[in-house]
Amino acid sequence: MNTHTPTLLELQRALCRSVVGHNDAEAGLYIIANGIDPAARLGIYRNTFASVLVNALRLSYPAVHRLVAAECFEGAARFFMEEQPPQCANLDDYGAGFPEFLARFPPVAALIYLPDVARLEWAVSRALHAQDAEPLDIARLAALTEDEQARVRFAPHPSAGLVRADHPADSIWHAVLAQDDAALAAIDPAAGPVWLLVHRAETGVEVSPLSERAWYFTAALFAGRTLHEALDEAQCAEAQAVLAEHLAAGRFTGFSLAAPAIS
Amino acid sequence: MPQFKRGPIPAKTGIGLRFPHHQAVADTRPEIAWLEAHTENYMGGGTSLRYLEAIRRDYPISLHGVGLSLGSAGGLDAGHLERVRRTIERLEPGLVSEHLSWSVVGGTYLADLLPLPMTEEALDVVCRHVEQVQAFLKRRILVENPSTYLQFQHSTIPEWEFLAKVAERTGCGILCDVNNIYVSACNHGWDASAYIAALPPAAVGEIHLAGHAVKKLDGGHALRIDDHGSRVAPEVWALYAEALARFGPVPTLIEWDTDVPPLEVLLEEAARAAAVLEKTEREHAYADAA
Repeated sequence: MNTHTPTLLELQRALCRSVVGHNDAEAGLYIIANGIDPAARLGIYRNTFASVLVNALRLSYPAVHRLVAAECFEGAARFFMEEQPPQCANLDDYGAGFPEFLARFPPVAALIYLPDVARLEWAVSRALHAQDAEPLDIARLAALTEDEQARVRFAPHPSAGLVRADHPADSIWHAVLAQDDAALAAIDPAAGPVWLLVHRAETGVEVSPLSERAWYFTAALFAGRTLHEALDEAQCAEAQAVLAEHLAAGRFTGFSLAAPAIS
Repeated sequence: MPQFKRGPIPAKTGIGLRFPHHQAVADTRPEIAWLEAHTENYMGGGTSLRYLEAIRRDYPISLHGVGLSLGSAGGLDAGHLERVRRTIERLEPGLVSEHLSWSVVGGTYLADLLPLPMTEEALDVVCRHVEQVQAFLKRRILVENPSTYLQFQHSTIPEWEFLAKVAERTGCGILCDVNNIYVSACNHGWDASAYIAALPPAAVGEIHLAGHAVKKLDGGHALRIDDHGSRVAPEVWALYAEALARFGPVPTLIEWDTDVPPLEVLLEEAARAAAVLEKTEREHAYADAA
């Protein structure tokens, strides 16, 4: 019989070890059996924890779920949740580390493109749940002088993200979600790399392939470089057209001006 | 098309709004007095939020949270509380509720409503957190009794007393989940009627009704599990009538979260609850007139 009375914090830590780490040794001591093994009682909470998180990951990674089949997905998810349990009650935010986990999860090692598909799905999931924001009014940019325009630092839309993948993650993702087996069979997994832009438009989340140079130019802008710096760094011949398309598609929500260079 | 308006939650029946019913509710505008949404499901932007913003133009909305972890020894998560505040500001709910439970320890979220030991220490923690939440949100919240599957050796306060004390000390309301009372009473050998009789009627601001499952365990034992995956059980309907007789007409919600059926099934359950509510209203009207 247990004689130690745990503080609330000690009790909660013991239950956490039971639910996440499957170790009932301490938690079991604090529970009244009342005809049922404390481990079976704790198992109810452990099952809920696992099923809620498997479901949250399935919602964020639907193509990965189809590519590896349900049983394997659940196995991977259970290992992942023990290694990286959620840190926040908003489960839309859970699973950022899943692509890197899959990259070192031996049972799926043969699917060399799987981590790339997962990285794309995470960007898509981020875009789906991102906060709403009004796009930048282009007239505000047009009102700037040429010197001011060079010093513009854009604020990307909360849903905008970039993914670079060694494998054709976008084609695989499209084919898997469309359940288009013919298209999937026609994809060469070794083809790549691909340079992708993910953004939520009025009609839903869009995944657009960019050229390598356009991707680096966009990455520089998203990272808060001034327009002048981004043009300088990326050496992108189509930069003006790329910028015009980002603006027209609402991929920026605002801008600030960097201080003028001291000459 | 029926006309509804936003605002406070009326003492009538509502249903829990879930993703599979967004389109049907937005398109058909069913005859239901109010809707309740899970706070954590509407913290981002995009399609889900747009549906709820459209739906709330015609229906009073209640926000029901699962993530504040009022019973965490380590304190409230300020980031999550701020997300709750922003969601409330955007959706202007008539009621805001949370649970008498915990789900966060050491920065890990356990994705379930875990039971608290019924001790003076836990009572102090919960009361402090309810006061902090109410001060931060600048509004009263309701606190719901959970379904539980275990009890702790060192608990000293019956759950119904614990809940009544939280309401008394903090001024919060009680969300009386009649199904949870029935489930916990069966699991622990409590008297469900006595539980209801012990709650302060003036504090009860909402009732939840849902279905539960029976899980068979080794050794011929069983536990009732609050899975919100079926119609309300007959015993829970009987207990609901007892609750209304004691509390008077209270806003009542039908919840369904597992194997969510067509919207019509929820509306049928809500109509059944409405009949019990209306009977209570008539009886209260007679009593007032007498």
